[in-house]
Amino acid sequence: MEKGTVSQVDTGLTQMALNRERTKVPVRFVSQLNWKQNVTGYVFVLPWIIGFLCLTAGPLLFSLYASFTDYNITSKMNFIGLENYKRMFTMDDMFWTSLWNTIYYVVFSVPLTTIGAIFVAVLLNQKVKGMRIFRTIFYLPAILSGVAVYFLWMQLLSPSTGLVNQFLHIFGIEGPSWLFDPNWTKPALILMKLWGVGGGMLLYLGRMQGIAPSLYEAADLDGANSLEKFFHITLPMITPIIFFDVVTSTIGSFQIFQEAYVMTQNGEGGPSNSLLFYNLHMWNNAFKSFDMGYASAMAWFLFGIIMVLTFINLKAGRKWVYYEGGDGK
Amino acid sequence: MKKMVGSLFLTVMIILATILTGCSGKDVSASSKGKVVVDFWTFWGSETRRPVIDKIVNDFNNSQDKIIVKHTFIPWGDIWTKNLAAVAAGNPADVVINDINSVSQRAENNQVEDLSAYIKANTFKEQFYTNLWDTVLYKGKPYAVPFTTDTRLLFYNKDAFKDAGLDPNKPPTTWKELEKVAQKLDKKQGEKYTRIGYYPLFGGFGAPSWLKNADDGMGFVEDGKLKIDTPKKVKALKWLVDWQNRYGDKTIQTYEAEFSNGQTNPFIAGKVALYTDVGTFYTQIRDSGTKMNFGVTTMPAFDEKSKPWSDGGGFVAEVPKGAKHPKEAMQFIKYLTGEKAQKYWAEKNYDNVANKKAAETVMQGLTGDAKVVYQEAVKSLQYTTLSPVPIHYPDYQNRINPFIDRAMKGKMSPDEALEKAEKDVEKMKQ
Repeated sequence: MEKGTVSQVDTGLTQMALNRERTKVPVRFVSQLNWKQNVTGYVFVLPWIIGFLCLTAGPLLFSLYASFTDYNITSKMNFIGLENYKRMFTMDDMFWTSLWNTIYYVVFSVPLTTIGAIFVAVLLNQKVKGMRIFRTIFYLPAILSGVAVYFLWMQLLSPSTGLVNQFLHIFGIEGPSWLFDPNWTKPALILMKLWGVGGGMLLYLGRMQGIAPSLYEAADLDGANSLEKFFHITLPMITPIIFFDVVTSTIGSFQIFQEAYVMTQNGEGGPSNSLLFYNLHMWNNAFKSFDMGYASAMAWFLFGIIMVLTFINLKAGRKWVYYEGGDGK
Repeated sequence: MKKMVGSLFLTVMIILATILTGCSGKDVSASSKGKVVVDFWTFWGSETRRPVIDKIVNDFNNSQDKIIVKHTFIPWGDIWTKNLAAVAAGNPADVVINDINSVSQRAENNQVEDLSAYIKANTFKEQFYTNLWDTVLYKGKPYAVPFTTDTRLLFYNKDAFKDAGLDPNKPPTTWKELEKVAQKLDKKQGEKYTRIGYYPLFGGFGAPSWLKNADDGMGFVEDGKLKIDTPKKVKALKWLVDWQNRYGDKTIQTYEAEFSNGQTNPFIAGKVALYTDVGTFYTQIRDSGTKMNFGVTTMPAFDEKSKPWSDGGGFVAEVPKGAKHPKEAMQFIKYLTGEKAQKYWAEKNYDNVANKKAAETVMQGLTGDAKVVYQEAVKSLQYTTLSPVPIHYPDYQNRINPFIDRAMKGKMSPDEALEKAEKDVEKMKQ
């Protein structure tokens, strides 16, 4: 009797069991469904993709090709193989000067600005009254940019009337002729760069304020002094930011152009070519001598250098960067 | 299905929008009301120059009814690259103001139109100073028309001359005289110079200009041949090194900084007694309000047998390659470089113009110091050589300068420097 009652209650479950064959979803239909859902996303990204292909990737590949030709925009583009590269390394003294100038600038400005930014961030991380105002003041120079800043510094660095030398005079130091003395032009630019540490400082400060106070308390209990606390707690915790800062600063410093172009007359590279940076030399070749093929070769060589350095940075970064959320490897 | 239609519609709209924004810059250079529109690019946007060029353009437009000239201001520096890009893209302006020394370089690189087809009269070129016309020729054909020019003169402080017991109406005419006069005008206070008589490299003359002045006005490249390592040029470089050693690095750098920091020019402030600059420097003296008692003369000659060779540059009006209306462009250029427009330009801007008659007429209308300076400038134009970029060594200046630099710093002897410079430039022959 119970059996018959059970089979009369039609819950449709048996139906479902039988229908499983028919409702089996074919694989092709599933990927079509996913694709339909994704196409909207692709459409939204489409403008950027078109822009990237037409305005960035396309010209990049064109300039790669142009570096093997004697292209001069308007009249010729003959394939000349490695001629441009040969000329760059063996026949152009200015190339080596510009490379040396750029490397000098990178080697000094990147560590100095990083250390400067960390130092200022540490100063501002104290619980002192009026700290917000100090933070704003230190950050202000980083907002200013462009030609006006360069002109401002040209006035400040003026040998006899500039404020920098007058300030040094108070201490009895006879300031050098900054932008007119070939030995002091690059240090002058590095000084100018240091004035803008506010930008990096903000990143470090943000990170420092996110460090758990419990770490410091633990250190206090163990009897650590402030220097030890800095080197063993603060510094390791901000290594991700340092890493980011060093990588981006290196890439950016290699590309220095504006300062040299504005602060030297006609962009010719300053006294004894001491401000002839790589990009400026490339610019002169491209737009003064119209030697586009050669300039493209220079551009790709710079790309190669920066690529290699960034790769080294990334590889080395794994050794000294501590990511809190990671495995601590 | 709805989602499909929606995304498709979105795609089409985005592609349409991208195409439309790209097309929006289509220029309307086609005839408007039957007149031909000529696109005219200049870099004259300052308060002084802009109204002058605009008036010239308006006068031309009102004087006839077939052509309308549209003047566009493009900032200095940008205009060269913009012009180049436009020529490469195939839609350049019809008339462009460009630098005179690089005309043959542009002609060689197919960036300007050959104007000989539009210049019928042989007498057209006689309107202009010969050295200017020669510079716009490439393979014997004119590729631009000279518009303005300049020349460097020697300005001197008459009061300083009187103080030092020199005759203020007898400025130095040779290098030797200049050296003697300059040393008399030096003023020292202990170790520091409170006044420098003269330093050859302040102002409008650089080392290349002096080397050219010594070598009978012959530049580094003459007729396609390198003339860098010549005996007279070596002597000139030695002379410059002597000046540098006499005053010392520190003093020179301090004065150089004062010349470039945008405040009062040290010559006007009385810190330098003699100074080289272009003729239009007079307007700076006039506008400084110091009522300075100054004199002006042509540059000194190397010796009694030489001439007072000076350096010049200038600007031309040219028709970029691929311009849509070259014939009408040339008509406007003829007006621009004709006597009326040139006279107006010279009067208002105190500039040296390329049209000989205009220059002379303007001179008669001037008075006082303005007339004196203009007269000396016109006199100096006879001995002014330009520095056209040599086709086979377009980078020559950048290769020579480091060697001259090393000689000036004492790292190399002048003989060695010029010898090595010539070898280096030869290496980069294109």
